[in-house]
Amino acid sequence: MSSRKLKDGILQGLIYLSAAFTVMILVVILGFVLYKGLPGVNTRFLTRMWDSKTTFIKVDKLETPGTGKGEGYVPSLGITIALDKDKKVEITGMDSNSPLKEAINLKGDPYQVKKEDLITKADIKVFEKVSVKDAVKVLEDAKSPIKLKVVRPGGGIVPMLVSTIYIILLSLIIAAPIGILSAIYLNEYAKPGKVLNLIRFAIQNLAGIPSIIYGLFGMLVFVQMLQMQYSILAGSLTLSIILLPTIISTTEEALKAIPQTYRQSSLGLGATKLQTNYKVVLPNALPGILVAIILSIGRIVGESAALMWTAGTVAQIPGALTGNEAGAATLTTKLYWIIKESGDLNSACSVAVVLLVLIIVLNMISKQITKRFLASKGR
Amino acid sequence: MSMNDKNSKSKEPGTDMASVRMKPNRVRDVIEKIVETIFLICALASVISVIAIIVFVFWKGLAPFVGDNAYSVWAFLTGTKWDPGNEVFGISYMIIGSVYATIGAILFGVPIGILTAVFIAEIAPKSLVRIVKPAIELLAGIPSVIYGAFGVGIIVPFVNAISPRPQGESMLAVICVLTVMILPTIINLTEASIRAVPKSYREASYGLGASKTQTIFQAVVPAAKSGILSATVLGIGRAIGETMAVMMIAGNPIGGIPTSIFDKIRPMTSNISMEMGYASGMHQEMLFATGVVLFLFIMIVNITLIKITNKVGDKG
Repeated sequence: MSSRKLKDGILQGLIYLSAAFTVMILVVILGFVLYKGLPGVNTRFLTRMWDSKTTFIKVDKLETPGTGKGEGYVPSLGITIALDKDKKVEITGMDSNSPLKEAINLKGDPYQVKKEDLITKADIKVFEKVSVKDAVKVLEDAKSPIKLKVVRPGGGIVPMLVSTIYIILLSLIIAAPIGILSAIYLNEYAKPGKVLNLIRFAIQNLAGIPSIIYGLFGMLVFVQMLQMQYSILAGSLTLSIILLPTIISTTEEALKAIPQTYRQSSLGLGATKLQTNYKVVLPNALPGILVAIILSIGRIVGESAALMWTAGTVAQIPGALTGNEAGAATLTTKLYWIIKESGDLNSACSVAVVLLVLIIVLNMISKQITKRFLASKGR
Repeated sequence: MSMNDKNSKSKEPGTDMASVRMKPNRVRDVIEKIVETIFLICALASVISVIAIIVFVFWKGLAPFVGDNAYSVWAFLTGTKWDPGNEVFGISYMIIGSVYATIGAILFGVPIGILTAVFIAEIAPKSLVRIVKPAIELLAGIPSVIYGAFGVGIIVPFVNAISPRPQGESMLAVICVLTVMILPTIINLTEASIRAVPKSYREASYGLGASKTQTIFQAVVPAAKSGILSATVLGIGRAIGETMAVMMIAGNPIGGIPTSIFDKIRPMTSNISMEMGYASGMHQEMLFATGVVLFLFIMIVNITLIKITNKVGDKG
C-alpha cells in the first residue's frame, strides 16, 4: 500500500514540476526580454528612423537676434544647444522664428532642422569634445550664411513598424479572399472524391513546410526569377501562401459551426446557393473569419525566415511594391539582424518588447471575438 | 355575381405567377456556375502552390547532381565537410546534427509536455488552469527570433559555464531551446486528446479501486495515445524545420560529426539560411539540395501524421 502511495506521490510531484517548469520558462523568457529591452523602449525608440541621417545645410543668421536666456542659447539662430550624453552638441530648443526651420541643403532643397538633431560641424570647426560655451561662440561669430553639418539621430523602429503594417495589409489582401473562397468551396460546394482529397492533402502539406523552404522558394521565384528584387511584394506573396492553410481551416471551422437549418431555410425560401452563401452563411461566419485574420496577423508578425530572404533586411519605409526601393525589414527580421550583426542584445530585446506587446494585444483581441462569437452561437 | 368576378380576378394573377416562377432564370444560373468555378480555382490555389514549391525547390536542388559537372549524390549525403570555396559539399554531419537535436528535444519535450497537459486537464484547480493555460498560449505565440535572443542571452552562457568546450554554442543549447519551442505544440494537442477521453474510462477505473494517478497513467493517457502521437510528430516537424532560433546558438561549424552534446552542430536549416544571402551558382544549388533533403524529412513526418490522424478517423 505504501509503495503505491510513494509511486503516486512521485508521479504527482513530477506532474507539478512539469507544469511549474513550463510556466517558469515563460517567466524567464519574458523577464529576460523585459530586463534587457525595456530600458531602451522610449518615445525616441518608437518615433525615430533606424539609421541616422547626416545632412549639410546652409542657414542664414537672424537679422534681429533672438532673445533668450541660458548658457546654451544662440541668439543669431534662435536655438538652445546643450551636450547630450555622448558629449555631442544637440539642439534642445528652437524658437518659432528660428532660421534653421527653413535651412536648405547643398542641393538647394529645403531641410527642416528639428529639435534633438545634432550639430557636428559649423563651417570648418568640428564640434567634437567642445563645451557649450565654445560652441555658442563659434556659431555667433560665424558669418552668415553658416554651413552646418546636422545629424538626425536614428535608433528608432518607425521603418520596421511601417513595413510590418504594409506587409500585413498586402499579404491579407492577397491571402484572405483566396483563403475564404477556398473554405467556402470546400465546405459548401465540394463533393467527396478525388479532387477534394487532393485539395485537403495539399493544404495539410502546405501547413507543415518549414518557413525556410518558403524563403528559398520565394527568393528563387519572386526575388530572382520574377525580378522583384528584395521587396514587400515578394515577401507578401510568399507570406500569403504560408497563411492559406490557417485562413482556410479557421474559416472552415466557422462555416461548419453554422447550423444547416440556416442554409435550408434560405434555400426553402427560393434563394440560390450563391445567394444563400453570401447573404446567410458569410455574415454568420464573419466572427470566425475575423479570428482567422487575426491569427494570420499574428503569424505574419512573428515570421522571419521567409521574410528575410524575400523582403530583405534594409530598415527603410518601402517606397514601391517592387524593385530597389521596396526592400523592407520587419520587426522580427531586424531583431535577428541586430543580433547577428552587432550582438547588441539590448536593442534586440527592445524590439522584442514591442513585438511581444503586439502579440499579446492580438491574442487578447482574438479571445474577445471568440468569446462573443461563442456567446452569440448559444442564442 | 360580384363574388364570381372577384374569384376569377384572383385566379388570373395566380396563373401568371405560376408561369413566371416556372421560367428558368438563365442569367442567374450562368452566374452561379461562374462563381462556383471561381471558388474552385481559389481552392486549387493551395494545390498549385504546393506543386510549385515542390517543383522549384527540387528543380534547383537536384540540378547539381545531373549533367556535366555532376556532383556525386553519395559524396553530398555522406561527406563530412562543407567548404563552398573549394567546392566541397557534404551534409552528413548536418543531417546528424539536425536529427540528434530533434531527438534530444523530443526526449525532453514530450514527457514534460504530457505531464503538463495532464496537470491542466486532470489535476489543476480552475484557478491554476487560468494561469497556466494563457501562459502556454503566450509561449506558443512568441516568434522564434525571440527564442533565439533568449538562447543567446541565457542558454548559451549557461552551457558555456558547464561545458568542457570553450564555447556555449552547442547541441545542448539547441536541444534546450527546441524543447521549449515544441512544448506548447505538444501540450495543446495532448490536452485536447486527454479531454476527449470519455468520462466512463475514468469512472470505470475509479470503480475498480484505482487512485487518481493510476487512473491517469493507466487508463486516460493510453486512451489518448494517438493524439499524443500526433502531437509528437508535429513536434518533430517543428523541431527539424526551426531555423532562426537555432541559427544563433548552434555554432555552425564547417565540418565534423558531432560526438558530444557540447559539440557545435550545423542543422540543415541553419546551413540554408546562413549562406542564402550571398550564394550563387553551384553553391546556391547545393543550398537548394539541402532544402530538398530537409523537405524529404518533413514529407515523411507529414505523411506519418496524416496516416495517424486517418487511422484515428477510421476508428471513429
